[in-house]
Amino acid sequence: MRKLFDTGNAAITEGAILAGCSLFAGYPITPATEIAENMSRRLPRVGGYYIQAEDETAALHICIGGSLGGLKAMTATSGPGYVLYADPYGWAIGSEIPVVIVNAQRVGPVSGITGAPGQGEFYLSRYPTHGGNFETIVLAPNCAQEAFSMTVEAFSLAERFRTPVTLLADQLVTDGWESFEIPEDAEELRAAGLRVIPRYVHPGPRFYPFEDALDVPPVVLGCGLGGACSDWTPTEEGYDTEEREAQMQHAHRLIHKIRAHRHLIDRHEGYGLEDEPDIVLVSYGSPSRVVRSAVTEARRQGYSAGCIRLQSLWPFQDHLFRRNAVYLAVELNAEGQLVREIERAARRGAHFFGTCGELPSVAALLEAVRRLGEGHAPEPARWEREAW
Amino acid sequence: MIRKEVLISGFGGQGVVKAGRILGYAAVLAGLRATMLVSHGTETRGGYVRSQVVISPEAIDSPVAEQPDVFCALSQAAYTRFRSLADKGLIIYDDGLVVPDLSRGGAHLALPARELAIARAGSELCANLVALGAALRRLPLVPLECGLQSVREIFPRQGEATARALDTGYRFIPADHPGSADPGQRASGKGGRAIPPNRRSC
Repeated sequence: MRKLFDTGNAAITEGAILAGCSLFAGYPITPATEIAENMSRRLPRVGGYYIQAEDETAALHICIGGSLGGLKAMTATSGPGYVLYADPYGWAIGSEIPVVIVNAQRVGPVSGITGAPGQGEFYLSRYPTHGGNFETIVLAPNCAQEAFSMTVEAFSLAERFRTPVTLLADQLVTDGWESFEIPEDAEELRAAGLRVIPRYVHPGPRFYPFEDALDVPPVVLGCGLGGACSDWTPTEEGYDTEEREAQMQHAHRLIHKIRAHRHLIDRHEGYGLEDEPDIVLVSYGSPSRVVRSAVTEARRQGYSAGCIRLQSLWPFQDHLFRRNAVYLAVELNAEGQLVREIERAARRGAHFFGTCGELPSVAALLEAVRRLGEGHAPEPARWEREAW
Repeated sequence: MIRKEVLISGFGGQGVVKAGRILGYAAVLAGLRATMLVSHGTETRGGYVRSQVVISPEAIDSPVAEQPDVFCALSQAAYTRFRSLADKGLIIYDDGLVVPDLSRGGAHLALPARELAIARAGSELCANLVALGAALRRLPLVPLECGLQSVREIFPRQGEATARALDTGYRFIPADHPGSADPGQRASGKGGRAIPPNRRSC
């Protein structure tokens, strides 16, 4: 294994190159600029293409075009660019075009603070486009090592499910420096539990099957028997149709190809859950690291606490919240997004602890655990009280 | 706790991030885990910059240096802003740039980093490495050799001058200073202007 000390952005680049990415199109934005910068250096050396687009909408369209041409493609941005993906994102979902999308979340709304972390696109990554009738796949790394491995996995999932996969990171993960290891040969790759799926070419003629089948090769225009691809509801051959039956079957496929194989996507990490704790802290991304420290300390102080870290966000893992425990969602936003989803899934509801633009301190989380242990909701921050 | 936290702060252009990167990579060379969080404004030159480095033989949970074991203050603004965090650690400050507030706790070490960098490495640009060298003395987890190798790999062309700067800082800190990792041994370099807690040096 090659040992590095570099940013999460560098880890994502290495993961993409290892996964066989040969097209990157993007528009630079803090805190994801380094991915574009690194890709512009790395891709030409492996025979790939780097394109700086005029904006994010064009960037994802270029990726889709590349993917339809048989290339594994990736783009990277932050919140302000992620919203501009809305149109091509929908096209990639509907026409089943594999592509990997990185969102290094920063604090918002709009431009917010460029160099501060945020988690404001939890729901946006579930509904990144209009129209409904689809499921999305979203992974959330919390360190450079995972940023690397999840990028490799995102490419594999994109190929197998024929859909865009979002890697929902945050500024601390992408801009933060960290030690990480990358495999140097096939054996080390296997030992790391990673698998690179090559791009297969669909032989045709049924390019858009109406079942929930997995591992259907994506459409590569001009290869095999040739396929048609448009943004309308397709027939099995890829031609436009206005048949309601076809629309129903198409929607069923987009939803159930993911739901039926969600065991390949679902991932989480639990800590201290074996002794059925009364309080369970839930988080994803960089806050999870502080949460883990706080829970370790809380347990040392005798509190009945544990934590769940979501490594995949969508499809949402409802089954993790069936415990008879009080849940506390710890998020990098001030309104609470993840907490709403936990509230929906959990028996006894959920509480919220949010910070805006910076990680919570271990001390503040311990105080929240103490208050929950006494049966109170965590105290809202002073500015929150004043704002209301 | 085996985990060690280092906070380096100064203004843009002083090599705050570079020093953190050298420390982090030195830790990797020593077979350890390391994280570094960098914060700065959109406009870096002249603005405030901070790197928080955490080193541990085990997986690192929080990458935040909440109670740094070593704080290298390379500017007055950095010192004023973060000194309270390092009450239990060692504060290494450039006495040409920082006037310390010794009324409260915290071990202080006055290090003429800029001066030494000019004298030993021929450039004030190496002041960050002099400070880092002194910090390494407090971090026995990371041997000096790993620090030197890290410097040579990250600065392949200026390797020797920069390695000299790091070495100078490492040897500056006196053996009997509370900031020294090996208080039993005699330091091989010249004695530093060490200030015990709550006492002014002059």
